[in-house]
Amino acid sequence: MKMFIRQLKSLVRLSFVELWRRNDIFALLILALALLVPLSMASPFGASGASRYLDEVALLLIWGFSLFIALGTGARLFPPEFESRTIYPLLSKPISRGALLVGKYLGAVAASWSALALFYLLFVGCALLRGGALSVELVQGFVFHAAFVAFAVAVALVGSLLVTPSANLTLSATALTAMFFFGRRLPDYAETVSAPLSWLVKVAYAIGPHVEFFDMRQRLIHGWGGVDAVVMVAVLAYGAVYTGACLAVAGLLLKRKRV
Amino acid sequence: MNSVVEIRGVSRRFGDVMAVDNLTLSLGAGEIMGFLGANGAGKTTTIKMLLGLIRPTSGTVSVLGGDPSDAKVRAKIGYMPEIAYYYPYLNARELLAFYGGLCGMDGKTIRARTDELLSTVGLADTAKRPLKTYSKGMLQRAGIAQALLHDPDLLVLDEPFTGLDPLARIHFRELMHRLREQGKSIFFSSHELGETELLCDKVAIMKAGQAVYQGPVRQLAGDGERNLERLFLDVLSKGGAA
Repeated sequence: MKMFIRQLKSLVRLSFVELWRRNDIFALLILALALLVPLSMASPFGASGASRYLDEVALLLIWGFSLFIALGTGARLFPPEFESRTIYPLLSKPISRGALLVGKYLGAVAASWSALALFYLLFVGCALLRGGALSVELVQGFVFHAAFVAFAVAVALVGSLLVTPSANLTLSATALTAMFFFGRRLPDYAETVSAPLSWLVKVAYAIGPHVEFFDMRQRLIHGWGGVDAVVMVAVLAYGAVYTGACLAVAGLLLKRKRV
Repeated sequence: MNSVVEIRGVSRRFGDVMAVDNLTLSLGAGEIMGFLGANGAGKTTTIKMLLGLIRPTSGTVSVLGGDPSDAKVRAKIGYMPEIAYYYPYLNARELLAFYGGLCGMDGKTIRARTDELLSTVGLADTAKRPLKTYSKGMLQRAGIAQALLHDPDLLVLDEPFTGLDPLARIHFRELMHRLREQGKSIFFSSHELGETELLCDKVAIMKAGQAVYQGPVRQLAGDGERNLERLFLDVLSKGGAA
C-alpha cells in the first residue's frame, strides 16, 4: 500500500508540475485577468442590475477556460509518453498499468482543479470589488464545476487512447459543449423529427452525460439559492458514475494498447 | 552459475510477421551480454519480452527466477531505452525523484541515490536545468541514472552508446565494469560493435528473429583476424553460426 501511495504521489506531482510549467495556463490566467477585472469595474448603461450580466459573462468564461484546461490536460496524459518513448521506462518500473492510469488521472484532475480554484478566486475578487459577497451557492457551484472538470479529464483521457490528439480535443470539446448547451433540449428535438432519428436522439438523451446538471450559473446569477444536500449528493454520484465508466474504459484500452 | 535471464524457445508473432523465432539464451549473475543484429532482427521485441511489456507467443521468459510481467520482478530490473525525450518541464533531479517514487523508494533514499548517480553520470552541475535544454548525450546519461536509481540486479539497456561522446563512453564502460564487479548482470542491444567487444563477456547475434550466434567475446580477442566486426559480418552473410 505504501508503494502504491508513493507511486500515486509521484504521478500526481508530475502532472501538476507539467501543467504549471507550461505557458498556456499562464496565458489563460492573464486572459482571464484581462477580461474579468475590467468587467468587474463596468457598469453598463448605469444600470445597477447589470452586475448579474457581468457575472454571467465571467462565469461563462471560467467554464470555457476550465474546459480547455481539463481537456488539454487529460488529452496530454498518454500520447506524449508514446511519442517521446518515456512509456518504456515508465512501464518497466514496478507499477501496474491500472495504477499508472489512476495516478496520471488524479494528477491531471488535481492540476485542473488548482487552475479552476484560481479562476474562482479571481471571480470572487471581482465580485467583492463590485460590492458582492461570498455565498454558499458559490461554494456549491465550485464543487459542481470541479466534478464536471474531473469528468471532462476522464473523457479526454479515453479519447487520448483511441484517436489522435487533435481529433480527441475536437470530439471531446464538441460533445461536452453540445451536451452542456443542448442536452436538456433533446426530448423536444426528438418530437420534431421522425424515426429512427427520434429514437437515436432519445437514446442519446437517456445515456448521454448530462453535464448541464453541474451548471449552477443561473442560480448564482439570479440569486435563486443553492440546491438541497440530497440533490447535490445525487448529482455528484451521477458524475462519479460517468467518470468511473470513462476510467474503466480507459483502463481496458491502456491494458490492450500495444507498446 | 545462476541464470538471471533465462529465455527458452521463445517466439513472438505479430500478425504474419515472426519477430522472434524459437530464441533460447541465458545470462548469468555478473555477466554482460551484448545483443546484436541488424535493424528488424528482433532485438527490441526480445527486450520488451524481458521487461514484461509484451508476452511471448510461445516459450518462456524468466528473469531473476520470475515472470517479468510481475511488478516484484520488474522492481529488480533497470531499463534504459534508446533515447527517450524525458519530461521537458522537469530537471534531472525531479526526473529521478519521479522514477524513484514509481519504484516505491522513500524521499531520503531517493535524494541520496540522486546525488550519487548525478555525480556518477556527470550531470551534477546541470541537475537543476530543465531537461528540454539537455543534449542527446545528456538525456542518455539521465536515462542511465534512472535505470540505476533503484539499484537493480539486472540492467537492460537499449543502444546505450547512442549520443555519448568518446569520454562519456569510456566513463560508461568503467561504470558497467564496476557494476559487473558488484554482481549485477547487464543485457544490452547495440550496433556499436567495437564498444560491445570492449564491454561484454558474451554476445548473441540475431538475424530474422533467430539467434544465429551465441558465444563468449574473449575467444575472439586472442584471434588477430577474428574480431567481433568480422564475426558479425560472417554470421549475417552466412545466416548460420560461425
